[in-house]
Amino acid sequence: MNLSCHDRDRVFLDGSAEEWAALEQHAAHCPVCAEEIRAWQALSQAGGELRDYRDDPALWAKIEASLQHNQGRRERTLGFWERLGFGGPAALSWRAALVGALVVVLAVAGVYVIRPPSPPVAAGPARLLKSSALAEVQRTERDYMKAIDQLAAEAKPELDSPTTPLMASYKEKLIVLDSAIDELRVETWHNPSNAHLRYELLAMYQEKQQTLQEVLETKR
Amino acid sequence: MGTVGLTLGWEDTISPASDEGGRRVEPSETAAGRNRDSGLSDDATLAAGCAAGDLRAYERLYQLQGSRMKNLARNLLGSPTDAEDAVQDTFLKIQRGIGSFRGQSAFVTWTFRILVNTCHDLRRSRVRRKEHSHDQASEDRPLPEPRAPGSHPSLRMALERALASLTQHQRDVFLLYEVEGFRHAEIAAMLQISETASKNTLFQAKKNLRGILEPPRASEAGAL
Repeated sequence: MNLSCHDRDRVFLDGSAEEWAALEQHAAHCPVCAEEIRAWQALSQAGGELRDYRDDPALWAKIEASLQHNQGRRERTLGFWERLGFGGPAALSWRAALVGALVVVLAVAGVYVIRPPSPPVAAGPARLLKSSALAEVQRTERDYMKAIDQLAAEAKPELDSPTTPLMASYKEKLIVLDSAIDELRVETWHNPSNAHLRYELLAMYQEKQQTLQEVLETKR
Repeated sequence: MGTVGLTLGWEDTISPASDEGGRRVEPSETAAGRNRDSGLSDDATLAAGCAAGDLRAYERLYQLQGSRMKNLARNLLGSPTDAEDAVQDTFLKIQRGIGSFRGQSAFVTWTFRILVNTCHDLRRSRVRRKEHSHDQASEDRPLPEPRAPGSHPSLRMALERALASLTQHQRDVFLLYEVEGFRHAEIAAMLQISETASKNTLFQAKKNLRGILEPPRASEAGAL
């Protein structure tokens, strides 16, 4: 293999052992290339000046202590999940689902806590439903609930034995919604003409309907 | 600066890299050398041990790679104290992230990738800290070491200063290849670049270092 000065940079960049040998052969009677090769390889040797591989047992002692501390903390965290029945690495997704459900619970609770207090229900006709209107609302509600129950029946197999963390999260959300709906229904039963309560109940039903639709879409 | 870095004899210490073209100084009798011998099975055993939370596996990793890790961190950060922090932090990150190691690269390559990223983070936070306290510190800060014409600082210092003027990428590749003895394929995996990019960066780094460490040649000086 014959190489010339023009090949020098290419060999420096990515030359094979044979190409290096050929370049050195060329450099034997080319002082410019000889100097370039010497300087190039001297840089490699200079890199050795930055090498200081002294053992440092004191550093290992520090690292070991921090690793043990970290491991202890992880084991304590794992123990917490195991006590809850969510132990083992495979349960990671279930833990995520549980955390998701807790977030939903907190969000719903937060809405109840933060929501400005309802203004006192006005005694006038605007805030109270008249008996004919009330009968109409109750009939519509019953139809709406029936429709939602049908949706719930369709989604039941998926929700009874959730196979994914997402489905488990939906299930938790629906439990929370049902609980809120039950409470509101008790309140509306005590105070059937309160339009404000009816609107809240409607909002809860809409949320439930949307959640059930999402469950069915996920199933598909 | 003079030619202090480029005038040493090299013939007896530079050996051709076994699987790559070019020549470089192999880190003889070093962790790098030991790593070459230990083979892939040792690497997999280490990874498995660390994944199982076995502290002896971490100790073995430290025995095999600790001094090399600290050396790289010191060269990247310029301070032995910061280097120790970086190595310690790297071991904690390995412990926390071992579950995400899927074996796409060698375990040791993965650990050095974490180390390099940790050093970059530390360096950035140090720069931010310095910027933050710049006003107070500017009056107390020691002046840079005076460098009289004709003085001959040690080769190590000269090289450290020259490296500081390279780009971060060039510095990383030069240190990993020429100092720590990694192959381009390993460097590519660590820095998430291609092997060709690693070779090009090394070439450019060495060209720049030559320009910094060597005085202009007579012919070039005459042309100016």
